Amino acid sequence: MSETNAAEPLREEALRLHAEYRLATDRFDEMCASNGELRSHWTYLVRGLEALGPVDFDIRCEEARRLLNESGVTYNVYSEQATTDRLWPLDPLPLLLTSNEWSHIEQAMAQRAELLDLILNDLYGPQLLLRRGVLPPELVWSHPGFLRPCVGMKAVRAPQLHLYAADLARTPDGTLHVIGDRAQAPSGAGYAVENRMILSRVFPSLYRDSSVHRLALFFRAFRGLLGRLGPRGQDNPRIVVLTPGPENETYFEHAYLSAYLGYPLVQGSDLVVYEDRVWLRALDGAKPVDVILRRVDDEYCDPLELRGDSLLGTPGLLHVVRSGNVVITNPLGSSILENPGLMAFLPQLAREILGENLHLSSVPTWWCGDNQGLQYVLEHIEQLVVKPIVPHASATTVFGGLLSTQERWQLAERIRSHPHLYVGQHHLALSTAPTVANGGVEPRPLVLRSFAVASDGGYFVMPGGLCRVAPRPDVEVVSNQLGGVSKDVWVLASEPERQVTLINTVAPAAQLASESDDVPARVADDLYWLGRYAERTDGTARLLREVLGRLLEVERVPHDEALPLLLQAVTAQTATYPGFIGEGREERLHAPEGELTGVVYDRRRVGSLRYDIDAVVRAGRSVRDRLSSDVTRAINSLNRELARPGDLTSAYEALQRIVFLMAGFAGLCSDSMSRSQGWCFLQIGRSLERAVQSVSLLQSLLVPAADAANVSALEAVLAVAHSIKTYRRRYRAQIQLNGVMDLLFVDETNPRSVGYELAALEGLVASLDGNIGARRSAASRLALDALTQVRLFNQETVVESGTAPLVPLFGQLAGQLAMLSDELTRRYFTHAETPHQLVRIA
Amino acid sequence: MTLCHNEVHLRPRDQPGQSCQSNLVTIEPAPAQLHWRTDYFGNPVASFALQQAHQSLTVTATSRVERLAAQIPLLSASIAWEQVATRVRANGSDDTWMARELVLDSPLVAVFPELRDYASPSFASGRPLLEAVADLAARIHHDFAYDPDFTTVSTALSEVLRYRRGVCQDFAHLAIGCLRSLAVPARYVSGYIETLAPPGGERWRGADASHAWVAVWEPSLGWIEIDPTNNQFVAERHVSLAWGRDYSDVTPLKGVVFGGGSHRLDVSVDVTSIGAGHA
Repeated sequence: MSETNAAEPLREEALRLHAEYRLATDRFDEMCASNGELRSHWTYLVRGLEALGPVDFDIRCEEARRLLNESGVTYNVYSEQATTDRLWPLDPLPLLLTSNEWSHIEQAMAQRAELLDLILNDLYGPQLLLRRGVLPPELVWSHPGFLRPCVGMKAVRAPQLHLYAADLARTPDGTLHVIGDRAQAPSGAGYAVENRMILSRVFPSLYRDSSVHRLALFFRAFRGLLGRLGPRGQDNPRIVVLTPGPENETYFEHAYLSAYLGYPLVQGSDLVVYEDRVWLRALDGAKPVDVILRRVDDEYCDPLELRGDSLLGTPGLLHVVRSGNVVITNPLGSSILENPGLMAFLPQLAREILGENLHLSSVPTWWCGDNQGLQYVLEHIEQLVVKPIVPHASATTVFGGLLSTQERWQLAERIRSHPHLYVGQHHLALSTAPTVANGGVEPRPLVLRSFAVASDGGYFVMPGGLCRVAPRPDVEVVSNQLGGVSKDVWVLASEPERQVTLINTVAPAAQLASESDDVPARVADDLYWLGRYAERTDGTARLLREVLGRLLEVERVPHDEALPLLLQAVTAQTATYPGFIGEGREERLHAPEGELTGVVYDRRRVGSLRYDIDAVVRAGRSVRDRLSSDVTRAINSLNRELARPGDLTSAYEALQRIVFLMAGFAGLCSDSMSRSQGWCFLQIGRSLERAVQSVSLLQSLLVPAADAANVSALEAVLAVAHSIKTYRRRYRAQIQLNGVMDLLFVDETNPRSVGYELAALEGLVASLDGNIGARRSAASRLALDALTQVRLFNQETVVESGTAPLVPLFGQLAGQLAMLSDELTRRYFTHAETPHQLVRIA
Repeated sequence: MTLCHNEVHLRPRDQPGQSCQSNLVTIEPAPAQLHWRTDYFGNPVASFALQQAHQSLTVTATSRVERLAAQIPLLSASIAWEQVATRVRANGSDDTWMARELVLDSPLVAVFPELRDYASPSFASGRPLLEAVADLAARIHHDFAYDPDFTTVSTALSEVLRYRRGVCQDFAHLAIGCLRSLAVPARYVSGYIETLAPPGGERWRGADASHAWVAVWEPSLGWIEIDPTNNQFVAERHVSLAWGRDYSDVTPLKGVVFGGGSHRLDVSVDVTSIGAGHA
């Protein structure tokens, strides 16, 4: 304790970014020269941060974390069990680059993109580079990214390589090298914008006064490019962003970019090919698609001509590309450019094709497919990084120096058996940059990803980029999968520049939910189920809150007459049979804690509260681009509740928060989302589920309570429906069946009544029919029929016959609502069925 | 709604000794369009899609092919097999160029050490290539059981080698793997053989369905075709449809079907000689 006390006042004095920074001796450091002096372009930032003092600095770091959390910036980490969303890690300290150095990068990136574009055109066209022996054909032929069905496809217009990214690393002598090319669907540009949005809010004045180049111009160029890509040169091509789906590592970015750029986010099954065109299965019919910005790996895009086992693609897509009726960017087959073996030949290719030397050299690379390269790699294996030309499960990157003699021998054997599948590369000592860690700031190895987009006959390079640092000072591999951290990249302008932005930079971009009315049927389906699960979560939470409230009450009523009925209602409402209704009910009713804990926490149990929350999160993720950022935030907060099993006391607290969160969710759905067709399905889901829940509650709780003249249980019905006060105000009397039915069933002015929900539902479903006066669809007739049942309900029958007429009425309504849900599914959500390959019988 | 997308390699390709005089591919139910193009390996390939619901899909290809009597080359006159590896690297004609690609692994034929072990008894040092290949085909024919129930399209080559059984497609892949393990270019040929045996002759295996064999590259003779399933050099009773690196490049009928539960694929082939000797 005394140590901490002694240290605290010291930390209070000043933030010592620079003084306490421990340089690694064998690396280049971005912030400090080898003598420990600050590099001049870092002075302003470092002094500014130090002037904040440690307390304020910590507050800002916390603010950055809060912003990330709230915007739900995540990436998925693959593990054996499942993919999980991780919060995108952002270091609050940016990487700084001078204008001068950046111009050099800009020039080099544009040159490299141009060169790779010409190589791409040749490999899928005349193949002169192969025939003249400039590039060994085995290097191309044996790479799975070389798609033979794409050879000979005519480009609609040059260039073909529209978006390009390179990973850059700086060696101890201060020079930058390219260590990787990303050419088929480069990721990271969206994260770069998000990083910028956050840092510019956390350090507004430091950011402003540092004159940092802005990123918006890059995206304006990107949008401009996509708008010009339409195959017939039309003005307003229909553009979609193709994602593999919510399980993908960078799904957040796909949703973010599609919202930022304003194009619908689609999955392979949302597209269909016929009549030589690609169509988007939209709610209001098929829409022809002109341009596909893809984030699906090229081999997976067409299960007919490419990988037959792909479930992510659209069969027949290649045929449409060949017919010239759709442009895919980057074009299918461009992953051949990611072949690291190409790096060994790029200097020569640059001279042959461009007549220039490369402005930025690649990491020294030897391809084992030629004898010289093979000899070199085998002789220097200890100093090299050995990579397969295409990474896959059984062949990964290895550091020769870390292998035992036997492992090295085995590696050499593998290389000798398929030499053309391996390269050896110099092991670069990456440069370091200051990174907040372990209560201080330490130098961490980094890699910088730079982006270029084709523009006006050349390439426009993002003035900035995405920097990633290693998880520990001594780790050489920088990867998000392995726990790396990202940084914003500030290119310091020598003079102030014009303010350009696609949207107001202060507001998070994702707030701009796509305004396009091209709602894929799958999206409508997901929105519908998002609405249903959200209300189911709410209804279940309210019921459980009532139950746990009674159970945990300090001065518990010794014989709470309502409790057994409430417990049975829990089982009925959540369909978690046998529970308190089926076999073994006596024991469970006697000691309900275990069963209730399961119904709250057990996410593997269908119908449990946590199961419903998972369903909300899943549905929310797959329509992320359609939700306002506030709604996304509410879902993210919900996902943090009941995340780990606990006891009923903490469950009760969580239930209070969940009910509160869901009230917020409901409000946000009404207030922060535009009235698109998608919204309509979200609301239909909510209303329908609430009607189902209300009917079920009346059936499982009101009927037995009234039969048993159980006043306490009747009161509980009102409590769950949040209507006790209204009841007392209105009837000022003992709680009776008649009054409860009036308030919770008939009264269309009470937002908790069945009548209210059915009226809303009928209105929403009828609005799908289009014009007023149009013939009612089957769904709309079902909704009207259910509403009419309620309106025609005669309260006298309850006075006369008690609950007897209610049982068939509730049963019938429940049946009608289930039919309505089926009809909506049939009419609007018809999915592509899962594709199968025809197989030959042996 | 589109219910299936298909691609067919069902038009015999012209090559030395074989010319396709007519070819008609009919599909029932009829698709709106049938697109013909030439694939990467120069084979004619057609694609079509069906948008109407259907219980069955029938694809019928009828071709009239002129097949010249082939001369079996003098086996002992071929080049020593070891020299093929260097000759293939000497960039020359288009043919050599293609051969160079066909030394490499392909989706269904990836070389592993046991293939080389199996091949090596046939490839004594300095042995003429075609002699060695004929010996390899004879050994496959002798060592492996023809067993249509053992393998499917997805059975790995290592399984075929381990259990010593399979069908024509497996034997073709096996021979290709053996040859490529020795850096000898080999390609997969999809085709048909005459259904009825000639008088007094033996009825061949693979006559009722699509058949497959191998072509090996000899630098001065070009591509020489051999059928390991029937232990024969390919001659006038064989009709080639298409060739590629392996089965996956030249699948006769490939398709992606949406929904519809289970499905079954039946194939039948009838090859009849309509006389010899006309020019």
